[in-house]
Amino acid sequence: MKKKVLSTILAFSMVVSALAGCGSAASGTTETTTDTQTSGETQTQTQEAAPAETQAEPAAELTGIDAIIAEAETMTMEELAAKAIEESNGKTFYGVGNSSRGKSALPVFIEYLQSIDPSYSMEFEWQQPKNNKIFEQLTSDSLKSEGTFAMTLIQDGNQIQTKMVDTDILKTFVPKEWAEANGTTPDAFSGFLPLQTLNKVFMYNNTGSATFTNCWDFVYEGSHPLFMGVDSEIVGKNFLMMLTEDKYATWLKEAYDKLDDTKKAYFEPVIKEMQADASDLGLGANGAYALAWIKLWVNNYNEQTDDGPICNTLVDASATDQSGLLVYSKLRSVEESATVSVNNINVAAYQDGYTGIGGYGYCHYLFLTKNSPLPWTACAFIAFMTCTEAGFEPWGKDMGGYSANPNVAKEIEEKFQHSNGGGDEFPAKNDRGYDWWTTTGELVLEDPAYCSDVSFTVGSWIDVLDHYAPGE
Amino acid sequence: MEAIAKPDKSAIFKNKVKTWFSQPQNIILLLFGIVLTFSTVAPIVAIVKDTFAIHPGTIDQHLTGRTTGYTVVNYIDLFTSRLAVTNLWKPLLNTIILSVLTCFISILFGGLFAFLVTRTDMKFKKYLSSIFIFPYIMPQWTLAVVWQHMFYSNKVTGTSDGLLAAIFHIYFPHWWCQGVFPSAVVLGLHYAPFAYILIGGIFKNMDANLEEAATILDTPKWKIMFKVTLPMIKPAILSTILLVFGSAMGSYPVPHYLSLTTLSTKYISMNSKYTGEASILAIIMMVFGVLILGLNQMSLKSRKNYTTVTGKSGQLTKLTIGKIGKYLVGIIFIIITFFTSIWPIVLFALETFLPNPGDYSFLYTGNLAHLTTKWWVTNENITENGMYGQSGILYNKTIWHAFFGTLFLAVVCALIAGTIGTLIGYAVAKKRRNKWANYVNNVAFLPYLMPSIAVGAAFFILFSNEHINLFNTYTLLIIAGVVKYIPFASRSSLNSMLQISNELEEAAIIMNTPWIKRMTRIIIPIQKSSIISGYLLPFMTCLRELSLFLLLCTQGFILSTTLDYFDEMGLYAFSSAINLILIVTILVFNTLVNKLTGASLDSGIGGK
Repeated sequence: MKKKVLSTILAFSMVVSALAGCGSAASGTTETTTDTQTSGETQTQTQEAAPAETQAEPAAELTGIDAIIAEAETMTMEELAAKAIEESNGKTFYGVGNSSRGKSALPVFIEYLQSIDPSYSMEFEWQQPKNNKIFEQLTSDSLKSEGTFAMTLIQDGNQIQTKMVDTDILKTFVPKEWAEANGTTPDAFSGFLPLQTLNKVFMYNNTGSATFTNCWDFVYEGSHPLFMGVDSEIVGKNFLMMLTEDKYATWLKEAYDKLDDTKKAYFEPVIKEMQADASDLGLGANGAYALAWIKLWVNNYNEQTDDGPICNTLVDASATDQSGLLVYSKLRSVEESATVSVNNINVAAYQDGYTGIGGYGYCHYLFLTKNSPLPWTACAFIAFMTCTEAGFEPWGKDMGGYSANPNVAKEIEEKFQHSNGGGDEFPAKNDRGYDWWTTTGELVLEDPAYCSDVSFTVGSWIDVLDHYAPGE
Repeated sequence: MEAIAKPDKSAIFKNKVKTWFSQPQNIILLLFGIVLTFSTVAPIVAIVKDTFAIHPGTIDQHLTGRTTGYTVVNYIDLFTSRLAVTNLWKPLLNTIILSVLTCFISILFGGLFAFLVTRTDMKFKKYLSSIFIFPYIMPQWTLAVVWQHMFYSNKVTGTSDGLLAAIFHIYFPHWWCQGVFPSAVVLGLHYAPFAYILIGGIFKNMDANLEEAATILDTPKWKIMFKVTLPMIKPAILSTILLVFGSAMGSYPVPHYLSLTTLSTKYISMNSKYTGEASILAIIMMVFGVLILGLNQMSLKSRKNYTTVTGKSGQLTKLTIGKIGKYLVGIIFIIITFFTSIWPIVLFALETFLPNPGDYSFLYTGNLAHLTTKWWVTNENITENGMYGQSGILYNKTIWHAFFGTLFLAVVCALIAGTIGTLIGYAVAKKRRNKWANYVNNVAFLPYLMPSIAVGAAFFILFSNEHINLFNTYTLLIIAGVVKYIPFASRSSLNSMLQISNELEEAAIIMNTPWIKRMTRIIIPIQKSSIISGYLLPFMTCLRELSLFLLLCTQGFILSTTLDYFDEMGLYAFSSAINLILIVTILVFNTLVNKLTGASLDSGIGGK
């Protein structure tokens, strides 16, 4: 009998330990869940009672997270800070974002709250997923009654629209002071709240003889620019889709017109070949130019895992004549050495006589999660990043990131002088600023609505294009 | 006559049940049969369901015009659309080629090395045997990153020059730098220790009488090799294929870094827009796992042919490869293993002192001032000088949090998987001809044959729903790890338990010794080494597992995902430091276990 009981207990305990008793949630996660039990229940009710489109309705008719957002949109930074202190003192704040600098911004935010209430403290964890995992992470987190993540800083307007906003997983909060700085009100503002615009710009290694004086040169015969794969970073694909929009297709046409006859003769057959596709896809008059450029780009770009390795490559003296499309701010991290130098690269759009698009601009957007465990703190943090120079500084201290708040952008430029960041020594690091890039620099700007519309027309057309592989 | 009592069927039944339950192996098999059926089948069902589900913002929503519900459109689109070749057939072909080549390379390299260590008088065996398993200790893609740093060139791969191009102006062809060849070599080197341990074990215990008999009969050496030696190690070769094929098929990072499109890499790249179709790719990979299990079953039947090789003759003779040969071959392998085992570690260490990732300018200039300690000692959060907002390694909370998380995960996985596997091995050995035991044995082994990325995807889907959401928790990682690593322990335990005669335990039963005492005093001590291996392998594998955990947690959660994140970002100093941390950790644990118990990964094969 003893044997039987003992063996049964042992075997059963193994099974139980395998199934349940062996693991624990991430430290802090459990805490947060327990702490926010009540608010979580409220939020769940809200999801049923208040769909996304009621966001702009008066606060009195809203409950849960929507009511909090509506109320928060009427508050000043100081009022929000008071609410955050009340809500999150001694707790842990989880954020997730495409930018690692959220991790730098949070301590500054905590310091700000401590300047109001010295006894305030908050632990935090900031996660930056790769490989498009942020959408899976947020979707998965949204299934919990109480989420782990309080807010997110996220890119890729296309997927945000279809996977996050249409599905009501993320909620937009527009700080009052941000709206005022942009000459509007939270109620009147539509769309997502941008923290900043980032630019990916064309650069090339200048240790050889190759020159790139026109955006079509990057897709000319023998050119294989380094670029993150469109499948691993979808904003790259958004860039290609945006090119088919009338404004940018026209820019491409104008740049093409300025090419010499030899190059025109090279591109012309491809453009002609694209006429039918452009018509099938319902594109405008210059759509064929956009499709030709896209086709040649996809056929020729040399895929890399991230902009970091692209930058590391281009600034190396051995990367003779190589080019790439990468985040401008990566140049900040280059350390000068015998073979590596920022002066080994040129920013194409800065060169005299350069014609055509200079790069691509996309936004980092800020959202609350629908089941945010710390909604007031998330609102305050969002307001802090978008409305104060200190809050935006983690991004603003380097070139290539432009605050969506004109007041903050001005303060940042006054403080950091990015327009002369490299001086005479490193001219590539002299950031000419958002206004220059979006006009003279011909930066193609992401439009989530357009990307979402053409995602399965132009987007699917891009999917079937052949990709370049070195050696083929 | 009427006095003869009718047998009480119910009492007989009760008695049978009582007798059945009095045998611990029956209870073990019943419980784990049920649990493992669930843990293996449920994820498969979840992922099959996902192939029919409509996902918002993806192709199935576009094609059906619906945001919820079920459809077969994912299957139709994957198999028949214009993208079928790109998304399915080409990656499938590449995957099969990669898996076959990896098996070939690992068996050839590991088998040859096993032969030299066990059957010849080659020198430096003890050192070589220890160093040979290093590539298995290291995360597999780190060798891929080393490959990039060594062989890439601006001329061929369109990147900056690697070491050989920069220093010696040697430019390797593209097929050498990227694609199926380097991927297979890297994976082959990574899994060669499997072949070494499995084939070496047989070589070491093989009865040399058969070969000697053939020699006396004047049989040519090549004929002895192909007609006697190779058939005897055939089971070990089949076991290696069994273990390596599925692992290579499910490897994500190596083909990803070396630019080869396989089902695993396609799964990741399609997951954002073609979510349902990506799940079909995972199903296809799983089908291969089931097929391999079926082939293994067939081979098990044929293996009965070799059971005539029984016991040890104690007459293991070693081939003499000559006075110079034994040193020469040893030195050749020292050089080879230097490049496969030591050189990557040297590069990792060096990388943590370079001013920019991959910037070896101190080598070209001979100026040591171009080295830096910033990657280690920066203790503030800065973005200048290439730190990308990270603190130095010594102060980097993300790295150390991930390190302790990984240790916790590996220890718990090893303890649970090792214990369950040992019990299963014991129970299956006791009931070796029982069909249920055979079923439990197979169902426990099946997850190992399923590609890690597919198993990870299945667990992600299973445990990310409105009822239960374990994403980014140790619980989920432990469940996945235990299910995936039970085979290490169950196989190791089964093989060793089969060697123990029933008489030993029967004698103890006659003495009325309780089961626990029989296990702890007789069974476990006899096969201590194999059982500890059953704990060590899951521990070590878990420490640097990426493909399985890639979809289950974020990058700062465990060390392998953190390492992959830094590699992708091009911050090789951090990833190299993590590699060093992992290698040192595994070596420390291996040495500790070796000192305390006498067991180690390569135990009993080389130099002992």
